[in-house]
Amino acid sequence: MGMDESNRQQPVNAGAESPLPLSPWGERLLARVSFLGPLVHTFQKRSIEHRVLAGFGLVFAGILVISAISYRNMTVLIRNGHQDQRSHEFIQVLAATGVAIDDAENGHRRFLVTGDESYLAAYHTLQERAPEYVGYLRELTAPHSLQRARVNELEQSITQQLREERAAIDLRHETGFESVRTMALAGVAKTALDSARRLQAQMEQDETKALAQRVIESTTTTRSSIILLITGALLLFVLLAAVYYLIRRDITARRRIADELHRRGELLEAANKELEAFSYSVSHDLRAPLRHIDGYASLLRKASSTSLDDKAKRYLQTISESATRMGQLIDDLLVFSRMGRQEMLRGTVNLNQLIASVLHDLRHDLQDRAISWTIAQLPEVTGDAAMLRQVFMNLLANAIKFTGTRPQAIIEIGSWGSSQEELVLFVRDNGVGFDMRYANKLFGVFQRLHRADEFEGTGIGLANVRRIIHRHGGKTWAEGALGEGATFYVSLPMARSLA
Amino acid sequence: MIASKPILLAEDNPRDAELALAAMEEHHLADKVILCHDGAEVLDYLYCRGQFKTRLQGNPAVVLLDLKMPKVDGLEVLRTIKNDAALKPIPVVMLTSSREERDLVESYALGANAYVVKPVEFHQFLKAVKELGVFWGMINEPPPEGASRATGRST
Repeated sequence: MGMDESNRQQPVNAGAESPLPLSPWGERLLARVSFLGPLVHTFQKRSIEHRVLAGFGLVFAGILVISAISYRNMTVLIRNGHQDQRSHEFIQVLAATGVAIDDAENGHRRFLVTGDESYLAAYHTLQERAPEYVGYLRELTAPHSLQRARVNELEQSITQQLREERAAIDLRHETGFESVRTMALAGVAKTALDSARRLQAQMEQDETKALAQRVIESTTTTRSSIILLITGALLLFVLLAAVYYLIRRDITARRRIADELHRRGELLEAANKELEAFSYSVSHDLRAPLRHIDGYASLLRKASSTSLDDKAKRYLQTISESATRMGQLIDDLLVFSRMGRQEMLRGTVNLNQLIASVLHDLRHDLQDRAISWTIAQLPEVTGDAAMLRQVFMNLLANAIKFTGTRPQAIIEIGSWGSSQEELVLFVRDNGVGFDMRYANKLFGVFQRLHRADEFEGTGIGLANVRRIIHRHGGKTWAEGALGEGATFYVSLPMARSLA
Repeated sequence: MIASKPILLAEDNPRDAELALAAMEEHHLADKVILCHDGAEVLDYLYCRGQFKTRLQGNPAVVLLDLKMPKVDGLEVLRTIKNDAALKPIPVVMLTSSREERDLVESYALGANAYVVKPVEFHQFLKAVKELGVFWGMINEPPPEGASRATGRST
């Protein structure tokens, strides 16, 4: 994997696709936490989108956890507050009950001594209010709790007290003071009262204790909530900072790449301009001397036609031909260079029409030739019509040229194995063919597999074909055998505009 | 008479000039050719100044203009001619080695009447120059002198 990775990291896209390396301190830190190693490795292999997504996922998960715990703590605090209120009320009611019991006892004893009915007011009050107090207290305690059981006991004690006191009151009414004298001095319902007071004290003590416990619990919960929130916020901050760092790094890398691309684009444009100036000067300045060579050779031939022998005339002829040929080469080279620079005018091209018009242009080459044509129905393609015309012009001219030695030439044009992605077109002939060993030379500039006296040409045609097809995003290749014809293939990507 | 109008050939390269003259000679047009060696000379001729101060008044039948010339280049000369009401009717034929599209486009945009690429092959060059000379110097009817004399100068 290391090899692939380093191969893929070309200067331009370094850092874009490859995992971002951690800073040195980060690596050292992670190296110590060895169990995180595989995890970090997996993380680093992920793309930037995955990593950012994972970061945000962690942030959201953190927020969820913090929210859940905070909610729970809040509930505890609210519940405790609620219970505190009930406890306070409970204690108050308990105290009021105690006071009522005491008042009733005191009033009752005074009545026993004095016989004054007004002293029985507190007794009556207790008698009336006792169920209310008990009911209230019962309401404020949880069912099946110790306090509830005690409330019940308290109720019994109060009932007992009231009953015994009632008995004493009745006795006083019937028999007068003397019979209740001891009672009045020592007090009635002593056991019940003691029990009620003891219960009251116990309940108050327990409730206060529970209250104190809850205060501690609430404080702890509050503190833990605060700690949780601070820690959570810090963690989230760290996470967000990490995500920000990731995004920032990515953006920086992308910006750097964009800058680099822009810079290279400018360089390329400058190089193109230079090339244009170069080819312009070639086209203008290089042709002039050639014209002069041919011109003066012609003038010389004319001026001294009588004094020159055949040999000298042939020499002059060769000079002229060479100059003309070089002119042709320069023109071809310029066309080739223009093919690379010229802006492409993409459109829909009807290949059937295009081939018909190419054959019309080649009609002079077709005179006195016996050629059997097989031209398949071809689909429409997307591309530069003029450039594609040049492609078929070259391929067909070649097919016609290299079948020149055949008494019956066979040329076939068709499309082949067209898939969804690309269309393969071919031109097949039964001409002189070529040795497959030199197949890679076919599409080179000025590369020729035949001697100039066998077949004429400058060797630029197939180079143009390759250049045009490459600019269309396609490929060129050829198959053949010496003396057994050749097939030239060009592939064109299917219209991407649909995608 | 129409035939008496000269053909103005602007050509900085003496060899090209000689070859062109040789081509004109074939049709006995050479003596009608006035050769200028750069754009400045062409303008001097057209405006009757400098070495052409004393020349016979009147516009040439045609100006055969090379693109690349020292001092003032072909396109500059063309622009001057076509921007001057008096010179505008003169037919201007670009005669150049350049087949570059932008030269063609620019020349026609400036009002060139024709654009001929000098062929490398002498026979074709001969033919091209000869045909140019014959067409513009003999067949083509140049604009009447009065129409172009906006400045009031007359022959």
